[in-house]
Amino acid sequence: MTSDELDPLIHVPTRLKIVATLAALPDGDALSFTRLQDMIGLTPGNLIIHLRKLEEADYLSSEKTGNGAASRTTVALTSRGRAALDAYTKALRDLLGGVSLGPDDPERRRT
Amino acid sequence: MNPTPTPPATADDDGSLDPQQAAALLDQTTQQARRQFAFSPPLLSVLRAAVVLGAFGGIWLSVHAQHPYRGPSSGALTIAYVLAGLVIGASAAAMRRATAGVSGAAQRKRWVGITVMLVAWAVVYVFMAALDHAGAGSAVVFGLYPATAPLMILGLVGAADAAGREDWLATGSLLSMGVVSAAAAFGGPVDAWLVMAIGLCAVFLGTAAVTAWQQRRSLVRP
Repeated sequence: MTSDELDPLIHVPTRLKIVATLAALPDGDALSFTRLQDMIGLTPGNLIIHLRKLEEADYLSSEKTGNGAASRTTVALTSRGRAALDAYTKALRDLLGGVSLGPDDPERRRT
Repeated sequence: MNPTPTPPATADDDGSLDPQQAAALLDQTTQQARRQFAFSPPLLSVLRAAVVLGAFGGIWLSVHAQHPYRGPSSGALTIAYVLAGLVIGASAAAMRRATAGVSGAAQRKRWVGITVMLVAWAVVYVFMAALDHAGAGSAVVFGLYPATAPLMILGLVGAADAAGREDWLATGSLLSMGVVSAAAAFGGPVDAWLVMAIGLCAVFLGTAAVTAWQQRRSLVRP
């Protein structure tokens, strides 16, 4: 297996952080755009670009409630997005299983 | 975990992550998110452990030399109420932090569970008043019952709710609280307070240790 086989939609630093953050919520819960932005540390414009790509792939869903200044957008990982992250994690595990650990890796120092 | 530097967040599709960096980023982000969404962080469990030791231990000190049993002193009860207030305040702050910006079905279920637990806790004290009204002795009304029943009911109701949400750590912790409370009743009106102090302290410290381990657990590495 090679790293080319990792889901290219998730295998990007920002989108990996978005998906991993949303996956830490219980299934069925959503996170407000502003809190996600705080946690990821992105500008709203950058975050919207990545969210749109994930939403187009049906990895997450978004919902907007209210109007004007009172409007609130929430995003949630879909079951497809959760499955994609599971598959990505498994692929990473398989890849790293065949890679020797670096000299600074605590796992290696322990052995 | 290999302390690989976190790649900078960019808006472009820079897929320059190698698998080791991706694993490090995935674990780091997951661990941060788990900490931020934690309803009951390890430090809060440690605080709860210290509070039950102080509150129940203090009450035990105030009653252990009483012959016949009259009940906890007002000083010990005041300390217990202040400590309980501290834990309630810290728990509310942790919940506010964990749920800021979070919505959905799981959140609603959790709040329903918390409401049911609070009602169950209040009902325990109504029953205590009924015991007093019925003429039960002070060893029961002001000893055995308040020492064990409130946290036993709270633990069992909370465990049922947590099991419904498949939150197995909370289920184990709350069930242990119920079991310790039931076992403490065998200590009688005096020593029940001491068994509660030590038993619940151990339960909360164990919960803190398992929570810390769960939060740091790697998704990628076994």
